[in-house]
Amino acid sequence: MRIYEYEVKDLLDQAGIPTPRRELVQDPAQAQAAAARLGCPVALKAQTLIKARGKAGLIQFADTPQQAGELAASLLAREHHGEKVASLLVEEKLALAGELYLGVVVDYTNCRPVILASRSGGMEIESLAELDPDRLLRLAVSPSQGLTPDQAQVASRFLADGDVAGELAKVVSALYGMFVQRDLEMLEINPLAITKDGQVVALDGAAAMDGDALWRQPELVKPRNQSQEEFEREADFQRRGWSYLGLGGDIGILSSGAGITMAILDLMRMWGGRPANFLDTAQMDRQGIYDAFQIFRDQPGIKTVLVNIFAGLNRCDLLAEGIKDFLGEYKPAFKLVVRMAGNREEEGKRILEEIGVSPIRELEASVHKAIEVTEDQR
Amino acid sequence: MSILAFKDTQVLIQGITGGAARHHTENMLAYGTRIVAGTRPGAAGQEVCGVPVYDSVAEACAQHRIDASILFIPAKFAKASALEALKAGIKLLVMVTEHVPLHDAMVIMEEKQKQGAVIIGPNTPGMISPPEKAILGFVPTRYFIPGPMGLASRSGTLTYELVSRLTAAGIGQSTCIGVGGDRLVGLRFAEVLLKFEKDPQTRAVMLVGEIGGTMEEEAAELVGGGKVTKPVIAYLAGQTAPEGMKLGHAGAIVDGGRGAMKTKIEALEKGGVLVARQPAEAIDLARKALE
Repeated sequence: MRIYEYEVKDLLDQAGIPTPRRELVQDPAQAQAAAARLGCPVALKAQTLIKARGKAGLIQFADTPQQAGELAASLLAREHHGEKVASLLVEEKLALAGELYLGVVVDYTNCRPVILASRSGGMEIESLAELDPDRLLRLAVSPSQGLTPDQAQVASRFLADGDVAGELAKVVSALYGMFVQRDLEMLEINPLAITKDGQVVALDGAAAMDGDALWRQPELVKPRNQSQEEFEREADFQRRGWSYLGLGGDIGILSSGAGITMAILDLMRMWGGRPANFLDTAQMDRQGIYDAFQIFRDQPGIKTVLVNIFAGLNRCDLLAEGIKDFLGEYKPAFKLVVRMAGNREEEGKRILEEIGVSPIRELEASVHKAIEVTEDQR
Repeated sequence: MSILAFKDTQVLIQGITGGAARHHTENMLAYGTRIVAGTRPGAAGQEVCGVPVYDSVAEACAQHRIDASILFIPAKFAKASALEALKAGIKLLVMVTEHVPLHDAMVIMEEKQKQGAVIIGPNTPGMISPPEKAILGFVPTRYFIPGPMGLASRSGTLTYELVSRLTAAGIGQSTCIGVGGDRLVGLRFAEVLLKFEKDPQTRAVMLVGEIGGTMEEEAAELVGGGKVTKPVIAYLAGQTAPEGMKLGHAGAIVDGGRGAMKTKIEALEKGGVLVARQPAEAIDLARKALE
């Protein structure tokens, strides 16, 4: 889960890593006032979760407060990969002597953090890793011991020679500390600038949080690029252990388990069906399946809902009762296709047949059926 | 034979007094697993399904030979419990817990490496060795029969789907392992393959993979390099997932540009793994591999 640049910079401040003076603004008047306070020239940086803003023209420079206001107006009207620009950082523009790269990522194969460092900052680090791997330092860190002072020295000397290396070693240590303390999956400063007067400053930062550690990072939990309603729905799903994704087609999918849900999406797409969305519920019971159906209700684009139940630990009869509860209360506009197999399958089948739903036993047959009844409605 | 869990494997249940743990302990005992002890701080002297409960892993280990521990422990306490078991010298851990924080998992795996232990999970339904009547976890036992197919999977529900079809086709299983659905897991496909290669009962292996990560590519290299001579079948979920969503960013550097479905399938086929495009095809390939 990505967080915004301005959030990363606030966290960098708290970690003791120098950042430029800046203000977060939401409208052109604020931008103009901020530019006047900070002193021009200033940088205006659109706050988006997806980066690569430079190429998209989402970072601009203003020589006067008035120009800052005008540029802010145009930036705040922009979209970036479907994300509306809602705020900007107005930031002092520094005179730079050099740009470095410094990051911490996780090596999932070897189960440990890795420090990445390069003297070629400012460019995308993937390109650098491909173009010139020798110019990229990779330093594996022991998760239990943390970054050692020696390792911080190695990284800082890789980044620069001379006096500034001492300052850089502090930044490397502080960055690693922040990576651990904030439960981050990824943290990078790119570029990490050296100013003409020899200061080290984090010009841009990116970070991703670990969704499984939010309970101990409560201050990082807030809506980002979503309405309060969407945010609360997501939090509710998280509490229930559900995952939901919109896909834009016309067949809704309710299934249990990420692997089988992905397999259903594969089969559906291979055979010409268009998934509208999917809901993956970890555990399903009578109330759970009733609640889950509410998500598909009142979505006009959905013509069919395919339910897949392979009850290993769950019980088909209880799930069938949940479906019966729902259909007893609502008359959904969509057609329903149920695949049901496993624990108490016969009882579940009987309950569904009583209300006019014939469950299908085989997975593939149910996907074919869902596509077929959807085509009939087109 | 099987791998990792056997008839005489003596098992500890950490967090045995919880509702789910009790229920699954009862099921595991009924199947044949030798559960000899449980832990729960403050509950020493109690019994669950006739199994004695101790305050700590060390106390349980003082009274019993413990070969494996299953952790029914909430995510917040998973790190402390796993470290407790590893430091007590237990060499096989099954971590069923979902949502273990990444930084906790890294510390656990480092200790595992240091102790020379094996960790299955986190986020796994566990494992089962049908010929040995041993289940460590909560896969639905009625779908499993003894036989020659070894299986390792990143997905619980997809495992049940495929195993029920193998069983219906008369293909039994030597051992089935859910390695876990998280990006960071303790036991990787490549390590499982080497264990199956050495097991005389296993005649072929099925890998159930997913988009993302590099486990499939590592397995492909092993098979391609001749380290695994038994037939290997793979079925991967997420084949039609949209390419556009680029995940890793800087993280992709340490993965060396691997992880996409296309590179996974190419690597597997190049290594000589039989790749099924659909579940039904996986069963056909398994049948042919065993002919």
